[in-house]
Amino acid sequence: MTKDTGRSTAGAEAPRAMTSPLLLLAAWLVPGLGHWILGKRRRALVFFAVVVCAFLTGVLVDGELGTPRPGEPFSWLATLACLGNGLLYLARLVWINGVSGALGGLPFGLDGGGDPIAVGFTYGNTFLYTGGLMNLLLMLDVSDIARGEKD
Amino acid sequence: MVDHLLLMIWHALLVALFFAFLWRRSSRDRLVLFAKAFLIMAVGSVVLGWLMYLVP
Repeated sequence: MTKDTGRSTAGAEAPRAMTSPLLLLAAWLVPGLGHWILGKRRRALVFFAVVVCAFLTGVLVDGELGTPRPGEPFSWLATLACLGNGLLYLARLVWINGVSGALGGLPFGLDGGGDPIAVGFTYGNTFLYTGGLMNLLLMLDVSDIARGEKD
Repeated sequence: MVDHLLLMIWHALLVALFFAFLWRRSSRDRLVLFAKAFLIMAVGSVVLGWLMYLVP
């Protein structure tokens, strides 16, 4: 049985077009917005709901947003994963640190929130990382769709 | 109160739904992938948890 994965074979022959940076920026800032702009409305709504649910669950069970810390290389990976949440990440950072605190705390003085002794702390972190990584995958998907390699 | 099992199932559900819509286009294929991924993650985690009792 063949599965319809949406992967197009036309991209192999046609020259690859560039994806608009603005489209990728939109896809990063708001989960699903890239798909919405490309006319994939149903998928966009599902992706938006999934990423927002993952992020909110992470916050509600006291997960900590990844922020860079000196001497801790893995904190950069956590930051990259969480940064994938786009506006949600930025809004949460501002919520915790305030606007001046978020700007003044760059790069090592940011508070990621969360409660390390809370029961849901590690679960919360996992949800926050997962949401961000899913949105990064969505950006790649948007790029593929925009270049005509997927439908 | 935070229920670990419920959080794990909720996580599996979100991830399975995400990949079903990312990787499949027809409704039937999406349903099949969703069911497979969800069951592997949810049931697999519980089985793995029980197996870890054998590890000292």
